[in-house]
Amino acid sequence: MSGPAYMPSDEELANLQKLSNEYQPEVTGPLVGERQSSSAITTEYANADPVYRVKTAALPSKYAYFRTCRGDGHCGWRAIAFTYYEALLRVGDVGLFQQEQARLKSMHNLLNAANFPEHVYIDFVDEAFELLDKLQNSVRLMDGTGADTLLQAFNDMSVAMAIITYFKLLASAWIQAYPDEFVPYMEYNQDIKTYCSLNIEAAQCEIDHIGIAALAEAIIKPAGFALEVLYLDRSPGEEINTYRYDPSGHDGNPQTLRLLYRPGHYDILYKAEDVQQPLPVPSQAPLQVALAGYTDEFVPMASNMPDVMTLIPGMYPTGIGQRWPSVSYDYNSTPAPQPQMTPVPTYAPAPTPASSVASSHQEYVTPVHASHVNHHNPPTHHSIQLEPPVTLPIHPPPPMTIERAPQMTVERGGPFRPSMYELEPGFHSGQPHALPFQTSIFRNSHYNTAHFLNPDFQPEEWSPDAEYATGNRGRHKSTSQ
Amino acid sequence: MSTGAKKRIMREYNECTADTPAGMKINFDEQNMTEWEILLDGPDQSIYAGGHFKLKMTFPTEYPFKPPVVSFKTKIYHPNVSNDDKGSMCLGMLRADEWKPPNKVVAVLRLIQALLIEPNADDAIEPSIANEYKENRKEFEKNAKDWVKRYAK
Repeated sequence: MSGPAYMPSDEELANLQKLSNEYQPEVTGPLVGERQSSSAITTEYANADPVYRVKTAALPSKYAYFRTCRGDGHCGWRAIAFTYYEALLRVGDVGLFQQEQARLKSMHNLLNAANFPEHVYIDFVDEAFELLDKLQNSVRLMDGTGADTLLQAFNDMSVAMAIITYFKLLASAWIQAYPDEFVPYMEYNQDIKTYCSLNIEAAQCEIDHIGIAALAEAIIKPAGFALEVLYLDRSPGEEINTYRYDPSGHDGNPQTLRLLYRPGHYDILYKAEDVQQPLPVPSQAPLQVALAGYTDEFVPMASNMPDVMTLIPGMYPTGIGQRWPSVSYDYNSTPAPQPQMTPVPTYAPAPTPASSVASSHQEYVTPVHASHVNHHNPPTHHSIQLEPPVTLPIHPPPPMTIERAPQMTVERGGPFRPSMYELEPGFHSGQPHALPFQTSIFRNSHYNTAHFLNPDFQPEEWSPDAEYATGNRGRHKSTSQ
Repeated sequence: MSTGAKKRIMREYNECTADTPAGMKINFDEQNMTEWEILLDGPDQSIYAGGHFKLKMTFPTEYPFKPPVVSFKTKIYHPNVSNDDKGSMCLGMLRADEWKPPNKVVAVLRLIQALLIEPNADDAIEPSIANEYKENRKEFEKNAKDWVKRYAK
């Protein structure tokens, strides 16, 4: 940025300075874009400097998707604020929303201590909290609109700027409250107040590493999230350098906000597992069992029809839920209408992951179903016992069981109160073989991977361990042999 | 302009009227709240004493994320005010890259007043006037007073 400090009296230089101050790069595109395949980045650099080419070539395999942020000087701040909200949405826990609101409110003390007048910052706080409220409501209702709401909010200049400003003020207040952690990274003897005023609070300043660290400490880590910044620059090496901030005292795999830095610009990155993509229809069997009570009416009609439709280019935008609702699931009666049943069509198959990511709300509804299915376990256990041979593994697609498992534990919004057994360690891990695929209709259909007509045919294998693992199943041993 | 920005301008105005810097008057039109007319008396301790200056403060659509724009409608001989029909003043917190959304308008008004008392020749918009201010203060003061008589009475 242009420093006002060294303005020489030389007229020409002053003029240049003035021009550079007034220069506004022409910026186009949405403030925050739709999520897209990161192979676009590789393509973009295909003709670039070899260092970039090598580094970007490996990118899509590790980070499947990215999202652009408009490079208007706010992109770094915007990317972090956006991904923070997005991570909250991804966790999908109303409790966490409330916890975060309480925590952010308590940070007003910090803002006051940094001498920001409340009547000034309250406007920014209001916008930030309004969006939190909206997303929280969407999570509570499970209406799947959260992702769209979030994207819209961040594409509304005044809302987005208010939220960004709020984040900046928090960062500044945090730095001033914990100067010892940040002073070593500033220029020698720089006054911390001046630093914050010029590099954090200023309306038009790109985020620097101190700003990122402050946001990580003030906002992201306490929420239980991790932040990862990938530096795509011309430094030697074949790998993109990564810097990571991990939340303290968080075991396992925290939600991770990922930024891609290219000199002067930040975008948002996603690993494939961050984004739960819709899976092909056969693997969506759990859904059918979620309707376990009504399997009599369940007719898996026209299941290959969505396949055809999604093959049509451009036929896979966000609105898919409205496009062909309940094409593949036709149940005549729904004795207990449950709001979370409505996004069923979001399970429509995706021929290519790349095109499917555009539909942004899908990943937020999946955990709901997953856990919902869980609550239905007792009846399915029952049916397993009636038909012992069916208890054999059905080879659910790996992403279902592995990646969604952690999500189940945080979901609290279902229609059922959590059972005390859920609290027991290993409750979820013990599920795979009991995944409720096993209705007789499903078992005998070619959707079952154990069916010879299934394209992913995998014969059933008898596993003595699984068979004898649970005591109550042992008594059926004789029939299953 | 968003409702948030309007609310903010309203609040800023209330604060300014409650705490108007001496020698200043704000004409505020609720129908057109993004343009304030400010009547400013040359501060007594400055070479502009005795002059009455009319200023316009315009709030951009992006306010408070962009700074308000200050311009002198009355001509003034000053290194920090452009010597043209715009009479724009753009330095310090009024600069887009230094502006902070929490900045208060009353602070902007005080900045303007302070600059009349002591121009900032190192951050000038009119380099020749700044030069004169630094190197030939007498001449500068003479010219400035001259302009006050000519334009600001």
